[in-house]
Amino acid sequence: MGKMIGIGAAIVACANLALAEHPGIVSEGDFLADMPIVLSVSRLPQRLDDTPGAVTVIDREMIRLSGVRDVAELMRWVPGFQSSTSFEVDAPTVSYHGAFGEFTSRVQVLIDGRSDYSTYLTGSIGAGLQTVALADIERIEVLRGSNSAAYGARAFLGVINVVTRHPVDTLGWQLSAAAGQNGVRDGLARLGWGSDVASYRLTLDQRGDDGLNETDGDPQVHRFSKVQRVNFRADLRPTPSDEIQLRIGQININAGVGRVGDINRPDRDRSTWANYGQLDWQHSLGADEDIALSLSHSQEALDDSFPFSLVALKRQSPVISRVYPQLGDVAIIDYSGAAGNDTVSLQHTFRHGSDLRVVWGGELRREHTKSKALYATNDVQITDFKRLFGNVEWRIKPAWVLNAGGMFERSSKSDDNFSPRLMLNWHFADGHTLRAGGTRAHRPPSLFEKQANLLYSADGVPLQSAVVSSGKVQPENVKSRELGYLGHWPQANVNLDVRLFNEVVGGMVRREINRGYVFPAGTVIRRLPFDYTNGPDIQIRGLEYQLKWRPFTSTQLVINQAYTRLDSLEPDRLLDAPRLASSLMLFQKLPSDLDLSFLYYRSTDVIPPASGRPDHERGDDRMPVKRTDMRLSKAMRFGSHKGELALVLQNLGKPYADYESAFRFERRAFVTLRIEN
Amino acid sequence: MALTLLRCLFASWLLLAALPEVCAEPQVVLVSSERGYSYSEAVEAFKRELERAGVNRQNILDRSLDEPIDTTGASLIVALGARAAEQRAAHGSKVPLLCALLPRASFERILQKNGKRTSSTLSALYLDQPIGRQLDLIRLGLPKARFIGLLTGPGSQAELGDFRSAIAARGFQAVVAHVEAGEPLFPGLKTVLDDADVLLALPDPQIYNSNSIQSLLLASFRAKVPMVAFSSAYVRAGALLAVYSTPAQIGRQAAVMALGVLGGRPLPASGQYPTDFSVSANEHVARSLDLDLDAPALNDRLRALERRP
Repeated sequence: MGKMIGIGAAIVACANLALAEHPGIVSEGDFLADMPIVLSVSRLPQRLDDTPGAVTVIDREMIRLSGVRDVAELMRWVPGFQSSTSFEVDAPTVSYHGAFGEFTSRVQVLIDGRSDYSTYLTGSIGAGLQTVALADIERIEVLRGSNSAAYGARAFLGVINVVTRHPVDTLGWQLSAAAGQNGVRDGLARLGWGSDVASYRLTLDQRGDDGLNETDGDPQVHRFSKVQRVNFRADLRPTPSDEIQLRIGQININAGVGRVGDINRPDRDRSTWANYGQLDWQHSLGADEDIALSLSHSQEALDDSFPFSLVALKRQSPVISRVYPQLGDVAIIDYSGAAGNDTVSLQHTFRHGSDLRVVWGGELRREHTKSKALYATNDVQITDFKRLFGNVEWRIKPAWVLNAGGMFERSSKSDDNFSPRLMLNWHFADGHTLRAGGTRAHRPPSLFEKQANLLYSADGVPLQSAVVSSGKVQPENVKSRELGYLGHWPQANVNLDVRLFNEVVGGMVRREINRGYVFPAGTVIRRLPFDYTNGPDIQIRGLEYQLKWRPFTSTQLVINQAYTRLDSLEPDRLLDAPRLASSLMLFQKLPSDLDLSFLYYRSTDVIPPASGRPDHERGDDRMPVKRTDMRLSKAMRFGSHKGELALVLQNLGKPYADYESAFRFERRAFVTLRIEN
Repeated sequence: MALTLLRCLFASWLLLAALPEVCAEPQVVLVSSERGYSYSEAVEAFKRELERAGVNRQNILDRSLDEPIDTTGASLIVALGARAAEQRAAHGSKVPLLCALLPRASFERILQKNGKRTSSTLSALYLDQPIGRQLDLIRLGLPKARFIGLLTGPGSQAELGDFRSAIAARGFQAVVAHVEAGEPLFPGLKTVLDDADVLLALPDPQIYNSNSIQSLLLASFRAKVPMVAFSSAYVRAGALLAVYSTPAQIGRQAAVMALGVLGGRPLPASGQYPTDFSVSANEHVARSLDLDLDAPALNDRLRALERRP
C-alpha cells in the first residue's frame, strides 16, 4: 500500500512537472505532490530534556551581548567553567571542574563536528578555541560532564561544541573593527555569496591586544597577542537528499610572552600556526535513516626557539667554563615542532518507530608529531586510533527516555578501552525533567606525556634535562554519576538547569619529578627532569545550576552558580577549582535600539593554573577572581546598510590574576563598530 | 407453474439485457485530469458517497482527459483537477460543471481565461483551505505565536490583501516578504525568519516546490521558526503542521454537491472551500522544537471551532 501511494504520488508529481509550460501557476499538484524528506532523523537534534547530560547553549545573540572577544572568554559564563585570556603559556584556555595543569586536555572542542585539539605537547584546546571568528558562530553547546561515550577520550570531562553559521545565513558582506585600551585592535571582513543550493563564506579576521600586565614586569618585554585567521566554508546540495560541506581554514597565533631572566620562559615572540580541511557528506536514506561521512585533515606547527644567555650561569659557577671550554655564552632553547592528524568517520542514524533512535558509527584517526626538540628524534611519531561508538535513545514510555551508549577505543600506544554511559530522563510533569545516570571514561596519555624527551643543550654540551617521560604513565579514568533537573515555567519565563555531580578521577596524569632519571654524561645542570605519572584518586563533587529568567520581553537575566569540592589524598596539589563560582548576566533592551549588558563573575580563592611556583608552594598563590563587564550598543543604519556601535568595559573592578599569579587582567574599554549589507 | 417461472426468468433476462441501454445516458460524468492515485481516490470516494445515497454506480461515468468523453444526457459534469476543469470550461457544454480538486487560484484563472463567472451551472470545490482555518490551527497548535510570516511570489501575491486582513482580524501580525519571479528566495526568507514566529507556507510553486523545500525547511528550522504548510507531504518533509483536505474528503464533498444537483438544486453560486479536512503534525520536528503537538486532538479542536463533528 505504501508503495502504491508512492507511485501515485510520483505520477502526480510528474503531472506537476508537466505544468512547466505554465511556470509559477499553482495547481493541485502543489497540494498532492510528494516532497523530499528534509528534516530527516540526524537533522533533528535531541531535545535538551532528552539528552543524556547537562547542556548549556550559548546562542549568537548572547555572544553579541556579552561583549567577549573569543570563545574561551565566553566559557566564563558557563556553570563550572574557568577561563583565561592569557597567551603566556598557550592560547587562552578553559577548564571544567579544575584545570589540573597548564594545558587543558580533558575537555574536547568540536568545531562543526571536527575535534580540534593540539596533538603537539599535551593536547591543549587553546588554539582550537581560536579557530573561527566569533561572528561566524551560530551557537555553542557546552556538554557539561564526561561525554567520552559519544565523543571519545578527549571528552573526558566535557565538550565545547562550536556550531558555525550556515553560509546561506551570512550572504552579503560584513565589516567590523574594535579598538581601545590595552591595544585592543580587532578587525573582520566577511563575504558570503551563492544561493540556497550552493553557498559560500570567506572570513578574514584578527584579534589583537597587548596581552596581560605583569605585576612587576620589565617594560622592555614586548608583550602582545595577535590571532589572525582565514576561514572558508562551502555548503552544497547536489540533490534533495545529499548535503556536502567543505571547510578550510588557517590560523596564526603570535604572542610576545615570557619574563626577563626566566630560564624556562624568557621574553620572546612565539608563533603557532594551524590549518585544517574538512569535508562532510550527509545522505538521507529516508525520513528515518541517514548516513554521514566525514574526512578531515589538520596540521599545526609551533615556532618557539629563543636564545638563552649562559653568562649568569657561568658567572655563578666558574667551573663550567673550565670543564666545557667549547661552551659559548648563548644556548638556544627550542620547543618547536609540527604535528597533524587525519580522520575519517562514518555515522549511521536511524529511527525505529517514534520511540527508538540509534546513532552508531566508526572512526579512524592518525596523529603524527615530529619534533627533534621534544622527543630528541627526527622520526615522525605516529599514533593510530580506531573507534566504534553507538547510542540508543529509547522512549520507554512517553515520559521516560533511556539513553544507553558507549565507545570502544583502540589506540596504537595504549590498551583498548570502553567508555559506557547510561542515563534515564523522566519528564515527571510538563516542562519538568529529572535525569539520573552515570558514565565511565578513559583518557590515554598524550604522546608528550608518554614519550617526552626534552633536553636543553648548547654547542654539543647537555645543559639540562627538562622533561623526560619514563613511559610508565597509564591512561587516567573517570567515573561520573549525576542527577540533573531541568525545569521550565512558561508563564514566568523561567528555565532552570541543575546538575548534582560526583566524579572520581582515577590515576590522573600529572607532572612529577623523574626520580629514577640517569643524567646523560656531562650534564651541566643536574636538576632532575619532570616525568608524567598517575596520581591518586581525586573526587570532584558538587552542584551547579543555571537560572534563566525573562521577566519582560526586553529583559533577560542569567544566573550561574557552581559549588565544587575536590578531595584527594594529596590536597595541597589540588586546589584548582574554586569552591564557589557565581556569575550573573543581565541583558536589557532600551528604547532607541539600545542594548545594555551587565556581567558579573566572582569566585572564591583559586590557584591560577600556571602558578610558576613549585607544587608545594602553589597554595600561596590562591586568590579570588572578580570581574564586572558592561556593554552598551546601538543598532544603526548607514544609508541602506545595517550596523552596530558598541562600547565594552571589561573588568570594572580591581585587576585579577589571570592564568598565573604574576599576570593581571586590568580594566579595559574598547569600542566596536560593525557594518553589514 | 413451470411456464410462469420460465416467463419470469425470460423477463428478467430481457431486463438485464436492456440495462446497458439505460446506462448509456449517465447522470454524472467525472472527468479527471489524468489517471493517478489521488484522482482515483477522489473518484472512488465520490462514487461510494453517491452510491450510499441510492445512485447506481453504473450511472456515474468515470473518464480521464485522454479518453473519449460523452456527456449526453448527463445532469452534471464533475471535473477533477485544473486541466480537466480548464478543458471542460472551454468546451461550452450546457451541462452544469463542478470543478473540484483544484486550488482556488486555478479556478479563478480558468474563469478569467474563458470570460465566465461562477454561477448555478459553473462552480468549484477548492482544494485549498480558507486562511482563517490555517490561522486557527496556528493559534491552537502554537499559542505563543504572534507574528505570522508569509513569503509570497507571483502566484500568491494576489491573495495577500485577503491574508493580511484575516491575519489582523485574528489578532496576529503579518511579516511579509515578496519574491519576484527569477529572484533568489533567501533575502526575503531571511527577513521573514528574522521576525516571524511561524512561517505559513502558501501554495505558490515559484516559492514552494520540491527544489526549494529543502532550503526553506532547513532555514526555518535553524531559525526555530516552524513551518505550517498545506499538505501532508510537507509535514513528512519536515514542516511542523498542516491542515489539508485529502482527495477522498474532496470526493465526498463533491458527491454531496452533486446529489444536490441531481435533486434539482442549482450549484452554489460561489466557489466552496472544503468543509472536511485533516490535520497532521511532524512529531519528531515538534519534539525537537520542544513542542507538544497531538494532531488528532488539534483536528478535533479545529472542528469544534467550526462546529463540525
